[in-house]
Amino acid sequence: MTPEPSRDLAAFLDAWELFQAPVIAGTIAGALVGLLGVYVVLRRMVFLAGALSQTAGLGVALAFYGRIRLGLDGLLGSPTLGAALATTTTALLLVGRRAQQGTQRDSLLGLAWLAGAAGTLVVGTRIVQEVQDIQSILFGSAVVVLDDDLVRVIGLALPLGLLHLWWQRGFVQAAFDADGARVRGLPVWLLDVTLIGSIALSISLCTRVLGALPVFAFSVLPAMAALRVSPNIERALVVAAGVGAACGAGGYYLAWRFDLPVGAAQTLLAVAFVALATAVERGALRRAG
Amino acid sequence: MTANAPLLRAHALRIGYIGRALLPPLTFEVRVGEMWAIIGRNGSGKTTLLRTLLDLTPRVDGGLERLGVRGIGYVPQRLGLDLGVPMRCVDVVRGGLDRGWSFLDALRPLRSRAQVEQAMRETDTLAFAERQFVTLSEGQKQRVLMARALACEPGLLVLDEPTSAMDAVAEEAAFDLVEKLQRARGLGVVVVAHHLAVLARRATHLVYLDADCGLVLAGPSGEVARHATFVEHYGHIFDHAGPSDAHGGHCDEHDHHGPTTEHPR
Repeated sequence: MTPEPSRDLAAFLDAWELFQAPVIAGTIAGALVGLLGVYVVLRRMVFLAGALSQTAGLGVALAFYGRIRLGLDGLLGSPTLGAALATTTTALLLVGRRAQQGTQRDSLLGLAWLAGAAGTLVVGTRIVQEVQDIQSILFGSAVVVLDDDLVRVIGLALPLGLLHLWWQRGFVQAAFDADGARVRGLPVWLLDVTLIGSIALSISLCTRVLGALPVFAFSVLPAMAALRVSPNIERALVVAAGVGAACGAGGYYLAWRFDLPVGAAQTLLAVAFVALATAVERGALRRAG
Repeated sequence: MTANAPLLRAHALRIGYIGRALLPPLTFEVRVGEMWAIIGRNGSGKTTLLRTLLDLTPRVDGGLERLGVRGIGYVPQRLGLDLGVPMRCVDVVRGGLDRGWSFLDALRPLRSRAQVEQAMRETDTLAFAERQFVTLSEGQKQRVLMARALACEPGLLVLDEPTSAMDAVAEEAAFDLVEKLQRARGLGVVVVAHHLAVLARRATHLVYLDADCGLVLAGPSGEVARHATFVEHYGHIFDHAGPSDAHGGHCDEHDHHGPTTEHPR
């Protein structure tokens, strides 16, 4: 009987070449989506990731439909363009004046989710042979990440990360005191569109590379943990990025170590961070009396 | 800033929504050292006027000029932070520093530490600078919001019902603070308020709005407070206005002594 191969950290590092693309992609996506998740959670848009995935699905389905049934070719029949147009439209709807109130925005998220899901199903019945392709274009797997996808994630995360460091004060003002920011002449609409646009772009690309479950988790759970232990939003952004990165990398290792699905391991690790942060917060409150 | 310099000028300003005017046109000018109180019953258009003056709601017609370079410091009724948003008082005040595109200057908060500290000292909020904003009392929150409005060193301070959640003692203290800041910084002040008693000793000018009668009055408080409709609703609450020599007992019978009085067209 052959002994079980060792599954400790040393063995993991020994086989690093095999794992480096998904681990790096998970770490960067966790950091980026984790950071942006602070705005997602504080603006009460936790179902944004799900709604965007569904509307992206409709965009891809419509692109296939146009290509197969209407004979569109080139850019017009591109599933990538279809997904980008659908997610951008949803994001713009969410920054419209009518969507500023929490309940309105919540309803719009539900609308986008349902319209995307039902629309994809309806269009899917007309392009049955392509439905599998829609799934593979939309939802990647955190287990295997292609080098090209890793480059795309890095190419997105680097400029967006820098932009968010640079414009962070503007984003925070526009998000939490829009009237005050307008009175002081800040370009609130531009800041809002840029923020929601960058969230939409990050979520749609990361979902395509890593899959829906871990990206949904990264967009909510690291922010939840960070907001429990941070004294202000600036600190919460940094902590959330760190927790997201730790979940991306740590979740992959735990999946390998205990033979678990990668996305689920990353998600459960993020849940553990939330539990830890809650305990720390309660301890601090108890000490403060 | 020069004493008596104009800060905000409204000329035949019509306020309303979707191109529909709520009230007759208004003309007035706010200057350094003046405190203008916008008063009227619920639904009279006070908040619409305030939001129009702040460019948060588009005006229906007429002119509105912001004069001077120091800009406006805005104190909202409340900052809509829920318990889950971590923000220390000092972060709330720092949030008021940026104007226009200054958020692109990454080093501005470091360079403006003295401004933030000064605003917090003047509003007596330094002692709880590190405390979470949501844990403060309403009076303390308003002082922090005033510090936030002062952080960008404005020439005009605009307050939207700043004392609506306070008891009488806290309200008195809040307006004492506004007066102190006005003198110390040479500010013009525009305030929307419900409780006239606390304004009677302080407001140099009034804008009185009455949507039911389609009446607007704007001018020195003594003159506006003598108007028949004002007296009918509020009595002789402005002591310095003296006994009534106001005209008419009903809002459709006014004449035009003193303040700007304009009827619907």
